[in-house]
Amino acid sequence: MTVVCSNGCESCSEINGCLKCLPKLFILLERNDIRQKGICLASCPVGYFDLRQPDMNKCIKCKIDNCEACFSKTFCTKCKEGLYLYKGKCYSSCPEGSTALNGTAECNS
Amino acid sequence: MRALAVCFALAGWLLISGSAAGHSDSSPAPCPAVCRCDGDGGADCSGRGLRTVPSGLSAFTYYLDISMNNITELPAQAFKNLPYLEELRLAGNDLSFIHPDALSGLYQLKVLMLQNNQLKTVPSEALKGRISLQSLRLDANHITSVPEESFEGLVQLRHLWLDDNSLTEVPVKPLSNLPSLQALTLALNRIAYIPDLAFSNLSSLVVLHLHNNKIKQIGVHSFDGLHNLETLDLNYNTLTDFPEAIRSLPNLKELGFHSNSISMIPDAAFVQNPFLRTMDLSYNEIEELPSLQGCMSLEEIALQHNQIREIEAETFRGLASLRLLEMSFNELETVPTAGLNNLNQLKLAGNLQCKDLLDANHLLKLRILSVPYAYQCCAFGGCDTFSSPNPEDMGNESGPSDDEDVSDLNKVGSVQLSVHCSPAPGAFKPCEHLLGSWM
Repeated sequence: MTVVCSNGCESCSEINGCLKCLPKLFILLERNDIRQKGICLASCPVGYFDLRQPDMNKCIKCKIDNCEACFSKTFCTKCKEGLYLYKGKCYSSCPEGSTALNGTAECNS
Repeated sequence: MRALAVCFALAGWLLISGSAAGHSDSSPAPCPAVCRCDGDGGADCSGRGLRTVPSGLSAFTYYLDISMNNITELPAQAFKNLPYLEELRLAGNDLSFIHPDALSGLYQLKVLMLQNNQLKTVPSEALKGRISLQSLRLDANHITSVPEESFEGLVQLRHLWLDDNSLTEVPVKPLSNLPSLQALTLALNRIAYIPDLAFSNLSSLVVLHLHNNKIKQIGVHSFDGLHNLETLDLNYNTLTDFPEAIRSLPNLKELGFHSNSISMIPDAAFVQNPFLRTMDLSYNEIEELPSLQGCMSLEEIALQHNQIREIEAETFRGLASLRLLEMSFNELETVPTAGLNNLNQLKLAGNLQCKDLLDANHLLKLRILSVPYAYQCCAFGGCDTFSSPNPEDMGNESGPSDDEDVSDLNKVGSVQLSVHCSPAPGAFKPCEHLLGSWM
């Protein structure tokens, strides 16, 4: 029985959803209790960054402390509520030598 | 009389703002049938096969997602009724033309996503005047040129994606207009060399990705001006010479050069990078290592898949922060362990000439070890025939050096029993070094 692949998907399986996305799209592995299902996106959801590689584009979870959205493995673009963003990291207050930009949660040196 | 006039004006304003927003207090904000609106100014009209920007959106829309549709061009004033728009998602359409006035009126626009379209050049006219723009995605288009005046006025831009395009050179002049830029990717293009002063105005840049290009040459002054750069990714290029330009990166923390063709690292290569924490030079053609003394912050060194035959005794001395040393698949015969007191992981698999037992004296905090031969694991516990060493036998000739704690030496026996060593000795891989490297 042929499986109908979801939007933007090139090859898929019934159990694991999308296995390979169309070019330029990102594959996100969603946890579905014990199973993982692949879906294809034009850009990764909040909490993930878009990793473009020659063979496959992937959504990778942001692993920076207290970070909500990130540009890469090491660079945060938005911190959790109440924290301050400085040079891609999140702080409870602006580090020494920097000050909060007027009314924003971002520090500037 | 004046009061009457004021009343009429007030009533008129209420009517206009009411109709503009398309609602009185009770009825919901207008939302085109093809969209899902969250009632808070967010509208998701993605993946609906649309060929034009939907009309009838609330004037108070601040987030509009029209990605994954079939919009091929943006006409002038395409968003004129959306003065409060902050985030506009247009990824995954077939956009090949953006009218110079397409974005006019969007003074609050912070995030603009144009990735995965058919643009051949940066829509510089349309971007002019977007003074609030902070994130701009132009990745996965077919951009071959970046007009000189591109990005002018984008004084708030912090994040710029230009990866996965067809650029053959670094857009030096356009990049010089971005004083607030902190993260830039030019990866997956066809850039062949980086000229001197290529990024000289990007004093706020923290992350620079240049991986998967064709970079063969980097000027000695290519990275001048990048005072705040912390991450430099040059993986998957065709560098043959070690880029000495990194000497002008005082805040560098992460350096990636893996999968190039670098054969030599010059002496004192990293002395100007006191905060360097991770260095990945794997998959190159490196034959020798310079001394790494002074790299006090260095935590991870990746040098697997090179051609390193010999390492000087003092190479790692003083690397108090070093946790991971990955040197698999080189041509090493011996490995100096002086200075590796705090090492947590050591990987030496694939160094087939390295047959001697490792000197476990300094490796007191080792937890993970991979070696070419199983018998070499026996010095690190986990073997039946291995008797835990008697501290007196250690005969530490040089005595604890200044950065060794005497009490550590006494813990030698117990610490090593918790090392996960591979390949683990066993019935077919006895501890005795019998017939050379037959196993």
